[in-house]
Amino acid sequence: MAVDKKFIGKKYPPVEYEVCKEKVKEYATAIGDLNPLYIDEQKAKESRYKGIVAPPMFAVVYTKDAVAEVMFDRELALNLPMLVHGEQDYEFIGVVRPGDVIITEAYVADIYEKGDKDFVVAGGISKKKSDGSIVTKGKWTFVIRR
Amino acid sequence: MALTAKIGDIFTLQKEVDKYRPIFYAGASGDFNPIHIDAEFGKMVGLGGAILQGLCTMAFVMQTVSEWSHDPYKVKKLKVRFAKPVLPEDTITITGTVTKIENNTAHCELIAKKQTGDEVINNAFAEVELGS
Repeated sequence: MAVDKKFIGKKYPPVEYEVCKEKVKEYATAIGDLNPLYIDEQKAKESRYKGIVAPPMFAVVYTKDAVAEVMFDRELALNLPMLVHGEQDYEFIGVVRPGDVIITEAYVADIYEKGDKDFVVAGGISKKKSDGSIVTKGKWTFVIRR
Repeated sequence: MALTAKIGDIFTLQKEVDKYRPIFYAGASGDFNPIHIDAEFGKMVGLGGAILQGLCTMAFVMQTVSEWSHDPYKVKKLKVRFAKPVLPEDTITITGTVTKIENNTAHCELIAKKQTGDEVINNAFAEVELGS
């Protein structure tokens, strides 16, 4: 059954995430990207950033629960066993550092069909709680086989 | 160091996916979907084992671009298409090519292949700010 297009534009409640230095290090280590900016306090201090920054793709961590709101939305009722993550798109706008509290609001950006597959695109806009500035905009394209 | 680029510039990175990488990534990212941490479950659903999280492979692509740019936050946009699953003990080679330079921004096309030559990420694009 096709996913109902009436849900395009549906918005979900904001999700907060506080970035912490140890979690940033753990993420950088897990992906095997040992850039000193992510893990070495001293070298990061000497850099243009004057301290540790999160890898841009750390966005995956602070946006996860917001996107889960879309994936597990009972109204949308996505057939999860048949769902794969088809595409991912991130715009990196602001620098994220330990101590930042990031608020992400997810929404349904698009729903369409192609062949025998349904495509559901979830969007997420993440802002710093401190000043409301946007840090990332993400788009997750889920492909659901029928 | 100011980043310069010209059309046709190529950059590359190789990443080895060890046996336990999906489990480390699950812990770090919170993605504990059984297809990533339970090989038997992965086989049962036809994936041939536990597969690496696609977003971890995307992070490899990001590392490739940010090592080239010498500054991760010069990367303003990254878009990927997940073409095939990555399995533990695969070796992934990521290649980026500068295809366009416009408004002080390098547009790069990227591809990630495994040791068999199969594309695991394709239709991938990055935008990287040039200068210092």
